Amino acid sequence: MAHSQSPPALLWQIQNARNHAEQIEFLRQLKDGVVGDVRAKETWVNHGILQFLVHLLQQKTTAQSPSGLGSKEAYAPISQTTDLPDDDRVRLLALQLIASFAKGGPSFLTPLNAVGAVPVILTYICPHKNPARLVLTSLRALSDMTEAASLSSRTSIEATAALAKALFVPRYIESLCAILDAESASSIVQEQKCLVASLISRLCKEPRYQDMLADAGVLDALATLLASFVVARGEVLPFTLDTLEREGLAAVIPQPAPRGLSLALILEAISVLIADSRFRTGLLLCSPAIMAVLTSSEIGERNSQIYRTWELLKKSGLTHGRPVDRSALDYLLPAVPVTTPRFLLSQHHPSFPSTGRSLETPAKHGRATARFTTEDREWLVGGGDTEEPESPLIPWLIHLMRSGTNDHEKVMAASVLASLFKGGFTSPDREFSLSVLVVPVLCHLLKDYEKERGKSLDAIFVDSETATAWVILERTPAVLARLIADSVFLQQVTRDSGALKLACKLLKDSYEPTAIPSPPRPWTPNPEERQDTGDDKFSTCQLGPPGQVPLCAHKIRMRESSLKLITSLATFKEEFRKEIVEQDILPSVAESLSETPQKPTPPKEKLKTEEDGTVPMHPAGHSPYGHNPTSVLIAACHAVRTLARSVSNLRTVLDDNCVAMPIFKLLKHVDIDVKIAACSVICNLLTESSPMRDPLIKAGVIGVLCLYARSDNAGLRLNALWALKHLVHMTDRDTKKKCLEELGPGWLIQLICDDTEDEALHARIMGERRPLTDADEDEVMDTGDGYAEATDDVWQWQAIHRKGPGFDSTRMRVADGMLRALREREFDEVRKAREADLAIQEQGLDFIRNLIAIPQQPAQAEMIDYIFSELGQDRLFDILASKLRVKILRPFARRQSSSSGTPGGGAGSGASGRNVSIDSRVLYPQSKIIVAVIYFLTHIAAGVPRHRQLVIAQEELLKLLAGHFNNKDVDVRRSLCHLLKNLVWCDGTEDRRGRDLRVFELEKLGFLQKLEGLERNDAELDVRERAKEAASSIKGEAGEGPQVPHGRVDY
Amino acid sequence: MDLHRRVQSQTSSTSTATPSKHAFETRVADVKSPKSDINALILDYLMMEGYPKAAEKFQKEANLKPRQEDPTINARQQIQHAIHVGDIQKAISDLNELDPGILDSDPHLHFSLLRLQLIELIRNARGYDPSAAINFAQEKLAPRAASNEQFLKELEKTMALLIFPADKLQPDLAALLHSDLRRNTAAQVNEVVLQRHTERREAAIRQLVRMRAWAEASCRSKKRNLPDRIELGLNGDDNGHDPMVTT
Repeated sequence: MAHSQSPPALLWQIQNARNHAEQIEFLRQLKDGVVGDVRAKETWVNHGILQFLVHLLQQKTTAQSPSGLGSKEAYAPISQTTDLPDDDRVRLLALQLIASFAKGGPSFLTPLNAVGAVPVILTYICPHKNPARLVLTSLRALSDMTEAASLSSRTSIEATAALAKALFVPRYIESLCAILDAESASSIVQEQKCLVASLISRLCKEPRYQDMLADAGVLDALATLLASFVVARGEVLPFTLDTLEREGLAAVIPQPAPRGLSLALILEAISVLIADSRFRTGLLLCSPAIMAVLTSSEIGERNSQIYRTWELLKKSGLTHGRPVDRSALDYLLPAVPVTTPRFLLSQHHPSFPSTGRSLETPAKHGRATARFTTEDREWLVGGGDTEEPESPLIPWLIHLMRSGTNDHEKVMAASVLASLFKGGFTSPDREFSLSVLVVPVLCHLLKDYEKERGKSLDAIFVDSETATAWVILERTPAVLARLIADSVFLQQVTRDSGALKLACKLLKDSYEPTAIPSPPRPWTPNPEERQDTGDDKFSTCQLGPPGQVPLCAHKIRMRESSLKLITSLATFKEEFRKEIVEQDILPSVAESLSETPQKPTPPKEKLKTEEDGTVPMHPAGHSPYGHNPTSVLIAACHAVRTLARSVSNLRTVLDDNCVAMPIFKLLKHVDIDVKIAACSVICNLLTESSPMRDPLIKAGVIGVLCLYARSDNAGLRLNALWALKHLVHMTDRDTKKKCLEELGPGWLIQLICDDTEDEALHARIMGERRPLTDADEDEVMDTGDGYAEATDDVWQWQAIHRKGPGFDSTRMRVADGMLRALREREFDEVRKAREADLAIQEQGLDFIRNLIAIPQQPAQAEMIDYIFSELGQDRLFDILASKLRVKILRPFARRQSSSSGTPGGGAGSGASGRNVSIDSRVLYPQSKIIVAVIYFLTHIAAGVPRHRQLVIAQEELLKLLAGHFNNKDVDVRRSLCHLLKNLVWCDGTEDRRGRDLRVFELEKLGFLQKLEGLERNDAELDVRERAKEAASSIKGEAGEGPQVPHGRVDY
Repeated sequence: MDLHRRVQSQTSSTSTATPSKHAFETRVADVKSPKSDINALILDYLMMEGYPKAAEKFQKEANLKPRQEDPTINARQQIQHAIHVGDIQKAISDLNELDPGILDSDPHLHFSLLRLQLIELIRNARGYDPSAAINFAQEKLAPRAASNEQFLKELEKTMALLIFPADKLQPDLAALLHSDLRRNTAAQVNEVVLQRHTERREAAIRQLVRMRAWAEASCRSKKRNLPDRIELGLNGDDNGHDPMVTT
């Protein structure tokens, strides 16, 4: 350049500028020198420019009065650069320079962090205190740093988490909210909003941040922006305006979205914020702007035209059901033909492959295993919201997906839709319309973008079109996976649309080696200068590791995303598992289990190359296959877990590809989530039919699992116990004894025992809650036994709270009640801990049961005696009896129902209706415990006569059991039949007298009548049949035939 | 698909005047395009291409509602002007003033500008000492070219200008000195800035023109009944029958 100067000279001039004008001039020179020139950036960093820039930015806080910058600026219209006062222009340039250095890539993060750039940048994001240009530039700088963080290869998760931690604190969340709420239509403000949305979607990964943002009103602000797009598209129902006026909601109808605001980014931020939380999803639906803009037709004057149209459609057979279900927006969607969806949908659920049951993995119950798992179940079981009309946001999103021209928007709309669907906020027949209106669109996107891929690419530079295409390709499989995770029907549709093969192809393609994995050092005309890196070697002046090129990062994200889709597809159907395995993806899956993946090779070739010793080892960070972060490891674990549900897979491909040892290695990973995920796979690998069981035992899996069974993480404890349960099933005596010894009989008793739990629970809540909730809730928690109510009394619905008492409509009150109920359910730590404990108890009981489940006789009796001696016979029976007493639960149930009744008149009828389901849910796992107890007894009764006599002698226990003949759970009734049948089993002639005695005892307790009652009246055919068998055995009619197989009763 | 991109002010068709017997022409004559649409289209062109003063005047004359402010329009005009007159240094500096992220995230554009700057240096160095140009190429362009084949070729071509006398250049080398290169680069810069700020790349009328060309071509390929030649109708005597420009 004409007047380019050497860095030290220019730096000296900048630092010693006589006035702002001069400094601005020099800073501009500096900027022109470094923009787009990585080499220049490096030189300048080496000369310590960053420290000086941060110093420039810090001056504001000291120079300025605490009350903030003059208020005139805060309200001044958006100004051009030249309108800014000189000192602000200096800061603007400093911020621009920092942003430009961040654009240099991950290697610049180290010095930027060393000088503490982030905290300084953050002081400039408040829109009330800073001119708009400064806010915009500081957001850009943050965004660039986030981008750089995502490219740093090994530390990307840590680097992103550090940024999130700095950004998501109450002060700055308030600023983010203020930016999103700003009503200006100026393009600078729109760009600010877009940047905020994209920062949220890239950084807000942890539930605690998501809750914080939702509570602070960011979700409402985003929902308002979403509503502004509905307005801009002209899709607000005109006839509802009157009603809205009356409700006071008309005022919250936003202005149409101005140009420059990106719907895709807003949707993505919303989708990231609501993620897997039912409460936050409800918060989106109830957001005033959404409620105002998208009303269901029920609210408005009933439009006779809609009715007539409906009748017409009905007559022509194009639709079904009540018209009330439909909002007017549904008429924008194609009419879905009636093909008896109900039949199609329900058909699949009972027809799990038979192996599915015994191989069912703990992840369903593990609290923290897979993100969605625990909630999933509840949402489906709960289902109590179906009587409420579905929000018209759902048809609107479907409409957007079908009518939009922007593919990014489509994917993000589908992502929000997935949360709504999984949250149970859709009407029951929506599943079918999703299958014909949404899933095919997503599959098409996947196909289109998969084809467009693979153009030759620059190593460092990715143009914006490619970047968007990548984003779409990365997100689509994950969105699809979430949408179909619980629905066999949607999985079928997805597979039929060809997404199964595509997902496998994408996974394989993501293991194509990258030619240049990390950005090359730029060429320089005088190479010797490279050594000359300034005088001091402080970290503030040194670049960090180079990170990876965008293509490499893209491939790694593709791995995660495609693995998720594969996992979802393999969840239920055996034939899909088979089809997936046939795509030869197992080598790629196996490599995904390793942090430093190599070339995926089929097992045979792998053996060969290992023998040759020709496996090329790549130095760390330069492998053409990249570095798998924990997210990929977890996704791979879940993929193996679902694939391992198939016995044939276990015996063939999974074994051939040696997945056992990598997973065993992951079991000892430092990250707790990886441990839990690995543990859930181990469960399936340790089953009786798995050939990997022995190698794993040899590798020492028992010790690790027993250690984890003592972990203070409930999810890990549960999964470990579950795995042990599988391990001791049908294994040799020594292994069984070893397991029990390693686990420690005392600890096992503690795990299944009820007595200690209450205290432990309370203590854990006090401990656990603190990091999760805001500081202000701590005070309430100190009030002793009221800990169940703590959270929901404090919680205020920001939407109502902030906007004042304007909303006094029934709808808002109902919504408020619903949100409170949702929040209570989601934040109720007592219930969550309780459920986790019940699940663990169940596994503990099953573990003992599997210990004694031995088909050969002397061995079984010996094992039972061993258990009795280790655990204590009387103590064991006492615990079993305590499990059957229902009243243990009541204190909790009472506490809950009373607490949810308290939030005054605010809780409407909708909320109180839900209390019932809360109680019943608490009882639900209880019946599983009963089943576990009964089957344990059944197994004892399958032993020698002495043991049967022992069971009969437990009068108290039997009396308690008698109370469960009309338990509403089928499994309980069925298991009782098994138990009775085993109890009256006659073991040769010597046992005849004993049998008669037992029959007498049972008849005395009234078991025979109860069995006959089941035989006559039970709703389930299966139970009736088994009751009949058992009753006839008691009566001795069936004689000595081989009715009961010794030992294992089919479970 | 460009054609599906939303065109802000969609008009029905370009107008036509010449009366003719042909069925197509009579149909065209029947289509009345509202004047407001045409005006909006013209204003859009002026705004997008970066003519702020003309846009302002036209807006007053045609009595149009003021459009949403476009903060970049003045800057875009300045930058384009700087490129047209060959002051690339100023253009780069102005561009960085507008938004430093543009050149930081678009190495291709940056390279184009720097190469243009190199060409200007070479042009100015004719007959004098070329060391300034060589130093510039070494410092600024060579590091980029080292990692990119396309850049390397372009740099080599540009450096060839130093060797051959200006009046005996191969046509592809001569093109580098032609003012078209400046104009194209200026347009390229305009597009990138526009896209970054409005998500649109060009004026709506350009799309309409392309659409017209595409429609005519596809009609002809399907042998639909069309007159041999469709006038643009811009002036009475449409001289020469050039096929529609499709750039």
